Amino acid sequence: MRALIAAAIGLAAALALVFGITAMGAPPGETSKEPLHTTVPEHP
Amino acid sequence: MRRRASLVLLAFAVFFAALSPLIRWYGFPRLAKIPPGQYQHMVLEAKNATLLDYATMKSRKVPKVSIVQTLKGNVEAAEKVGDRTGRDVVVWDTLSYVADDKGKMVSRIPERYVFDAHSQEPVHAGGEHVDGDPVRREGIEYKWPFLTEKRDYAYFDFQTRTSAPIHYKGTRTVRGLETYYFEQTIPWTKVKVPQHLPLGATPETVDQVGLERWYSTKRMFWVEPTTGAPVDGQELHKEEMRWKDQPGRKPLTAFAGHVKMRPDFQDEAVGLVTSQRHLVLALTTYLPWGFLALGGLLFALSLTLEARARGRGPTGETAATGEDGAGPGSGGRGGDGPRDGNGPADGGGDGDGDGTHQTPGPGTGRGKHRQPA
Repeated sequence: MRALIAAAIGLAAALALVFGITAMGAPPGETSKEPLHTTVPEHP
Repeated sequence: MRRRASLVLLAFAVFFAALSPLIRWYGFPRLAKIPPGQYQHMVLEAKNATLLDYATMKSRKVPKVSIVQTLKGNVEAAEKVGDRTGRDVVVWDTLSYVADDKGKMVSRIPERYVFDAHSQEPVHAGGEHVDGDPVRREGIEYKWPFLTEKRDYAYFDFQTRTSAPIHYKGTRTVRGLETYYFEQTIPWTKVKVPQHLPLGATPETVDQVGLERWYSTKRMFWVEPTTGAPVDGQELHKEEMRWKDQPGRKPLTAFAGHVKMRPDFQDEAVGLVTSQRHLVLALTTYLPWGFLALGGLLFALSLTLEARARGRGPTGETAATGEDGAGPGSGGRGGDGPRDGNGPADGGGDGDGDGTHQTPGPGTGRGKHRQPA
């Protein structure tokens, strides 16, 4: 019984961690102010 | 104490073992995404190319033609499409700007490409277009999906506004990276004249002169399969202005050349892909396999501790049985080992078995251990 409880705690923690991280997601960021190039850039 | 440790280890074992598939199958599709605000540019060159001089309407050789491709993630548009569709979407506003050897514009074709941030599937919303013409893309463009497979894909050709298969042709090594090589051939096809041409020429003026634009290409990509990013791209590109209703009249070559990535931009692409592929591999390989191995190791440790605890338990209990009634402290004082005559090593077991036996609860272990006694 204790082993089951320990396993359940481990499973719940893993689910909570992964769901939490994926729910947070990445910040969307901003649209770059850089232009769409109409000249040939000298460097990357 | 030993039993408590084995339970803690068991919890961690399950934690890490569960993380393994969760990261690979749940986390990876949700975490590995193209950022909506990505900005990238690439320069391709065709040396000793042929171009149409719109002033003289004659084809001429030029030392170099440059194609500047800019991809710019439109975050605001991506959020709107995402709200509407409920998906994580990337909206790329792109420009393919072709310049002659003097830097003068040959053509410029803008596009809007809307696609799923992870799977790369096109999303038909948000005003996708090519040079102002609404299009409905099928397949991929510019980039392959993460974990590219060894198979043919549908690839969107913006000149013809249609998708056609791009064939997987095997693996190749590019600057130390294993890549999948893909090839697509677009046969001679009548295509639209770009809205922006030199000397203010427009599709209407080209039409009035009695010309129509035809195009064919052989497109080659070397794709790093983990990230799906091309690390090399080339095209054998041909464009002709053909005389309408005059099949015998010689067409004008508008552009012909072997287009290749400029080496400095290729270096940058290889560097970017090399760093990014480790992030993808972390989610698909390093973490899942590492956590699975760690989970297995912890589980084995947990079992070992539990087995030791059980192994010691009965003997200790036997010795301590008489003191059980003395209350919680009795097991501890049982000093299992020494009383059994098992030597000092057994005595070291005190903490573990005893702790369990001392537990004032139902003490399942206790009952069991008493049996053999």
